[in-house]
Amino acid sequence: MVGEQKLKQIAKDVLALSKGDETEVILMVSENALTRFANSQIHQNMEWEDLGISVRVILGKRIGVASGNNFAKKALEDIVERATELAKLQKEDLHFQGLPKPQKIPRLKERVYRSSEKLRAEVVNAVIQQAKKKNIIASGAFSCPITEIAVANSHGIFAYHSSSAADLSTIMLGVTSTGFASDVGPDPKKINPEKVADTALNKVIKGENPIDVAPGDWDVILEPQAVSELMAFFSWLGPNARIYYEQASCLSGKLGKKVFGENVSIIDDPLNQDSMPLPFDFEGVPKKRLEIIKNGVLKNLVYDSYYANRYKQKNTGHALPAPNTAGPIPIHLTMTPGKKSIKDIIARTKKGLLVSRLWYVRVLNTKQLSLTGMTRDGTFLIENGKLLAGVKNLRFNQSIPETFNNVLEVSRQIEPVASFEAELGISRMPYLKIKNWHFSSGTLF
Amino acid sequence: MQKQLLEILSLIPKVQYADLRIVEKKNQNIETKDGVVEALASSTSLGYGVRVLVTGAWGFAASYDFSRSGIERTIKKAVSIAKESARFKTKNVVLTKQKPIKASYKTPVKEDPFNVPIKDKIKLLLEADRAQRVSPEIVISQSFFSANSEKKWFASTEGSIIDQEIIWTGIGIEASAAGNSDFQNRSYPNSFRGQNQTRGYELVRELKLIENAPKIGEEAVKLLRADLCPTGDFDIILDGNQVALQIHESCGHASELDRVFGYEASYAGTSFLTAEKLANFQYGSKAVNITADATIPGGLGTFGYDDEGVAAERTFLVKNGLFSDYLTSRETATELGEIHPGYKKGSTGAMRASSWDRIPLIRMTNVNLEPGNWKLADLIADTKYGIFMSTNRSWSIDDRRYNFQFGTEIGWEIKNGKLGKMLKNPTYQGITPEFWNRCDAVCDKSHWEVWGTPNCGKGQPQQVMYTGHGASPTRFRKIKVGVVRW
Repeated sequence: MVGEQKLKQIAKDVLALSKGDETEVILMVSENALTRFANSQIHQNMEWEDLGISVRVILGKRIGVASGNNFAKKALEDIVERATELAKLQKEDLHFQGLPKPQKIPRLKERVYRSSEKLRAEVVNAVIQQAKKKNIIASGAFSCPITEIAVANSHGIFAYHSSSAADLSTIMLGVTSTGFASDVGPDPKKINPEKVADTALNKVIKGENPIDVAPGDWDVILEPQAVSELMAFFSWLGPNARIYYEQASCLSGKLGKKVFGENVSIIDDPLNQDSMPLPFDFEGVPKKRLEIIKNGVLKNLVYDSYYANRYKQKNTGHALPAPNTAGPIPIHLTMTPGKKSIKDIIARTKKGLLVSRLWYVRVLNTKQLSLTGMTRDGTFLIENGKLLAGVKNLRFNQSIPETFNNVLEVSRQIEPVASFEAELGISRMPYLKIKNWHFSSGTLF
Repeated sequence: MQKQLLEILSLIPKVQYADLRIVEKKNQNIETKDGVVEALASSTSLGYGVRVLVTGAWGFAASYDFSRSGIERTIKKAVSIAKESARFKTKNVVLTKQKPIKASYKTPVKEDPFNVPIKDKIKLLLEADRAQRVSPEIVISQSFFSANSEKKWFASTEGSIIDQEIIWTGIGIEASAAGNSDFQNRSYPNSFRGQNQTRGYELVRELKLIENAPKIGEEAVKLLRADLCPTGDFDIILDGNQVALQIHESCGHASELDRVFGYEASYAGTSFLTAEKLANFQYGSKAVNITADATIPGGLGTFGYDDEGVAAERTFLVKNGLFSDYLTSRETATELGEIHPGYKKGSTGAMRASSWDRIPLIRMTNVNLEPGNWKLADLIADTKYGIFMSTNRSWSIDDRRYNFQFGTEIGWEIKNGKLGKMLKNPTYQGITPEFWNRCDAVCDKSHWEVWGTPNCGKGQPQQVMYTGHGASPTRFRKIKVGVVRW
């Protein structure tokens, strides 16, 4: 780790080098480790460290961005010069109203925990040994990133945060079935490999000799991993101010209106210590809890400084690193829990499908926010409140608005789910029971 | 840089095998939207990765830090990681033999894309952006340009020393129309950032963005009121840009031998093309000939040597419909030889890493459907009823590469051998080997183009790789069409 004081000095040096009317610098330091296993042995095992520096130079309303991975003085000079030259060549962006001014940033307790190659190998081996007892093949990955982020600008912003994450996931491969499970948190030592292995192995064993079920409209129970995979698309294309005002969002024109069922409340919760909290965005603007959907009503969109200024709204602290052509995106989504346990929800299901996770989810239509994808690694038929059998995987074609208007139950359990080996954070999702989820075809396994 | 390469290599202690890559990446990215240059950015990245094989197991460490202490720390870490990998191993890694190679390679370009003045690029993109706005119903107009350079210096303890520079250029436009309670996109020359090739700025000049922009805008507007693609089992002709992605997903990934052996089970999945199917499985009809060819001029998957120092080559994956070979590495080729003692080939040269901080994985090179004998006009004339589909809009496939579903931006009805009305929201679905066995006609070389796929994801940690796919319009009989409710 480089540390807050040193990053502050580097940021100060960069800002001093710039002759721009306004300048922003983002510094990132990462130390990553990932141990991967397949066929019940470690086959890829790595550590890598990198630096990132990105400089945005503004001349009037002309913006240039340059980046590199070297903090040496000459390299910093080169980056500032490149960004300045690009800004000189730019056209004016008349909607740009300036970089944000400093605001008080909440100080979170910083929790940085390291892994070692020895610890990672032992955790992975614990998963493999559980699998061997059942003659099942284990595969998976144990990822342990450590990150420092600092954002500064010429108006006086300086924000710094460091964090670590540990994400153990496994896919167990039986002869006719597979099972997925994961555990995620800030500390590699607190990951529970035995529990992860047991959960995945139970799915493999319960799912043996899967049966065919007919595609069509089914009541489904989506596990938190599957909910998180859907929610990633909602976060990108739903309350994003840019997409909303381009009329490309399924929510466009519906602010203040009921868009989902009353039992659906979606919150961006960036300071929650059970996720991977981040107290500021990539412009150094403080983040705070934001209700996006409350009892089915669209309460708030998310903004960065550009779209907040353009549409005369309050900046909600959702900027991504410049140049950002995707718009502002919430990256800490969670849902308000319901009252029933997942056990009760399954027990009260007469006929339906339990879906452990989704795979290869893609957008069919942006405006409708309709998606397609497959089920994967544990899909089960529920009859009369019990998991009756594993079923062969199915393809869904389903829109997010239909999904969230058809929620029958939200579980009281909320579970953490990692995005991209926790490099993109941790979301916290419940189990959802949804009626009339549409499956259009099946596959051969 | 070669001196530094050899100095670092000399610091690696005696191990079974080691290789070292120093990689310097450079990118220039320009994007416009609605007449504003939204992104004007330049990025660089420089670092090195050390891969070591110790007592039959791999370790890898990578760093940006070229100081002596940084290099020693990184090497020590790679060796220590390999030792931990070996602690619980059940099988040794064995590599196929590889003759040492000393060579250089550079992408041949006519006009270096970095050297063209930025103001000229901005002018072109803004004009192309503006030219899409043919109607008030065009609500978003976009244009994209990227120039990319990847310099790599490779050395191994077997004596190979290779330096390469891969240069590639990307260019494209996309218009979005809203109206009639609908939202539709059209792209040129392909969706998801256009065309990408290992060529210079000559690619940009050839594609005539401004001249093609009004047509793209007009089609986006017309789609708002076009009929929905019908539902049923129909003959389909896929345009080359859609065939390219069909190959990528249903053949390219399926023939990666690391997937077949379960090494990607934890993320991207496995493959239905299991080892016993080699030379023993009718993947497609006799019209289907698929190659992996890293030597095609301009292909986005074209290079001199892979990241294990194996020379680029051309391999038939499917010959006359019969599944014939895999994309392999030195490690997986050895394993395949253990299953099929007659398989004596070394690696097919498909190992590539997305940068210095990633290990090489088996990646597609240019995986191509070889051209057939048909002219497109004759193929349409030969189709009594069908749908012609162009330009990918959505794609999804299961984790063994059987069940796929694709959507395209636009379609046209074919009736009695003639191209008819425009259709919106075309989709089709199938099971890979059934689908390719329904292929009965492939258009000829005059329609054949190598499409670039710059965004292929694989591995943990995720690696985004650039691959190419040569394809021409192709017909498939009785395919499930219109599988999505709109």
